Amino acid sequence: MKIFENGLSASLRSRLLAGAAAAATLLVFSAGTASAAANCIKGDRKAPYTVGWANIYSVPTWMKQTEGTIAAEVEELKKAGLVKDLMITDAQGNAQTQIQHIQSMIDANVDAIVVIAGSSNALDRVISDACDKGIAVVNFDSLVNTDKVTAKINTDSAEWGAGAAKWLADQLGGKGKIIVMNGPAGISVSDDRRKGAQPVLDANPGLEIITETNTEYNAAPAQEAMTSLLFANPEIDGVLSLGGAISAGSVMAFDRQGREQVPVTGENARQFLELWKEKGLKGWATMQPNWLGALSVYTAVQALEGKDVPAFVKVPLPVIDDSTIDSYLARAENFPADGYIYSDYDQALFDKLLAQK
Amino acid sequence: MSAVSSSGWLYGAIQRRRNRGLGGLYLVVAAFLILYAVLFPGILSVGGFSKFTQNWFPLALVTMAQALLMLNGGITLAIGPLVSLGAVIAATTMDGMFGVPGGILAVALTGLAIGTVIGAIVAHLRLPAIIVTLAGSFIITGVALILLPRPGGFIPDWLSNTLAGHTPVAFLLLVVVLLLWKAFLATPLGLGIYAAGDNPVGAFRSGVPVERAKIAAFALSGLLTALAGLFVAAQTGSGDPVIGAPFTLNSIAAAVLGGVGFLGGKGTMRGAICGSLLLSVMINVMFFLGFPPVAQYVAQGLIIVGAVAVPELLKSWRARR
Repeated sequence: MKIFENGLSASLRSRLLAGAAAAATLLVFSAGTASAAANCIKGDRKAPYTVGWANIYSVPTWMKQTEGTIAAEVEELKKAGLVKDLMITDAQGNAQTQIQHIQSMIDANVDAIVVIAGSSNALDRVISDACDKGIAVVNFDSLVNTDKVTAKINTDSAEWGAGAAKWLADQLGGKGKIIVMNGPAGISVSDDRRKGAQPVLDANPGLEIITETNTEYNAAPAQEAMTSLLFANPEIDGVLSLGGAISAGSVMAFDRQGREQVPVTGENARQFLELWKEKGLKGWATMQPNWLGALSVYTAVQALEGKDVPAFVKVPLPVIDDSTIDSYLARAENFPADGYIYSDYDQALFDKLLAQK
Repeated sequence: MSAVSSSGWLYGAIQRRRNRGLGGLYLVVAAFLILYAVLFPGILSVGGFSKFTQNWFPLALVTMAQALLMLNGGITLAIGPLVSLGAVIAATTMDGMFGVPGGILAVALTGLAIGTVIGAIVAHLRLPAIIVTLAGSFIITGVALILLPRPGGFIPDWLSNTLAGHTPVAFLLLVVVLLLWKAFLATPLGLGIYAAGDNPVGAFRSGVPVERAKIAAFALSGLLTALAGLFVAAQTGSGDPVIGAPFTLNSIAAAVLGGVGFLGGKGTMRGAICGSLLLSVMINVMFFLGFPPVAQYVAQGLIIVGAVAVPELLKSWRARR
């Protein structure tokens, strides 16, 4: 809610700053149609639009799948005559390069920029520049700090961490030795999930954290980390794994060492879900849906078409447990072996998410 | 190298000889700049030029920092972490009681101090620079993460707008740094850095304080790197404890592209700067040509190999004639 309010006030501020003439037009416009234009939108851009997709790093499977949903959405919008072109950049993990790419998109005068930020702060200035030029900027997954964007779209990372910790605490009856496996250090998402878990851990003093790890969101480094932890710790009751394919790495490490599997949290990585079923794990998983990418493109185009969109679109976290895992595994064939089995989406879902206030 | 006297004729001849190997690189860079200007004429406006040079500026600085060490026969793998640390220190000290000047001083002193310590370890304990700086990079990364566990901090808007606004301040700063480098090369210590890299024993016998030159090279390199971090903080308006990581490899790539050798004494600073300019302009040109990301990876590799190969081909073609 806080972010949403900030977004509103930022949009008000920028409108006030836009000068008396523009403000007057906007007032007339909003009075006439009863739906105010979204943040950054000046109304001078006409369909079909050019969309820029400024990715931070295209190599991880999650990113490839996300790009897949974006490309599919663009195809749909092309058929509707709303989009004419999709420009894709890959900053190869370099936030500095991403700034350069977004600057080039401004220079090329694209109509919309969809972005996953390589750093929560570094893009703030270039993104406000884009917003000032009337470009619809939609930011998802890894968010920027500035509120000068059309919309931010994400799940709640704190809720992610809290949900995982709560499930694990319930499984262990609030008592036991656990290992916390985090994503990379210094990354907001991994930090936020860990922070979200903390209040739950504080409320369960019986849970003792033996140690914590930071690895990439991949199975191999996580397996390596867990393998050495298994040698050092004869007694482990649960694993609080906070994302990616880290849980799969952990489960494989337990398996290789011949250790009995313990309750483990995780994400919708196909590898993890299959191991869960195969080993009969006690598991819990949620997801960062890949279709956030498609939703972002859709949102940008809606905003350019003059529709009001919320400054912050909070996407509820779908939960996978023993009762729903089969519905995910049934669709496993459609996803890469090292990919993520995301929940279904369609335009009706997008419209519902954009309608929430 | 120590044969360079004040004689203007000899100086000119040597500069010509050192430029010859770079002719091909100059051509490639010029071609890319022209292509960029054709694809995006806005680069010729003050605003466009400013934004482009701002994105290039930190890479140019760290490339100088790297080239400085490579000319001295060293190398550093701590560039990226030190950029991050510089940014983090800038973003955490500027709201302190000494304000912006205090922040700039803190960044500069940190860079100098870290460079000096690494240089002293390398020079006096005779440990390989690559190992010492690798170890240093871990320590510096850790310190940056302790100071600022996640992106944040504070940089005053006026500083961001001055250094990275719509004016070519960054480019002018680069010109100033290059002029300072030129002046520094005219001092015995500056020349000593080159000489000690080219032939340490010979330099030592000619009276060059080889160890001191090495420590000075590391200290200056640390200073330039930390200041690049300060600029990144200003450009982005905040600090980020991991933002510098890609600079390590890019600084080495740019220096090598610019004809700086790994073994010391071979290469020029202008070549290295051209190398960094090529790496930077290449990103924009590929964007405007509409290359898909996968093709960009391939094209990037081909351009780098090409930029190194073209000068060699030109040389052999000239030799055959």
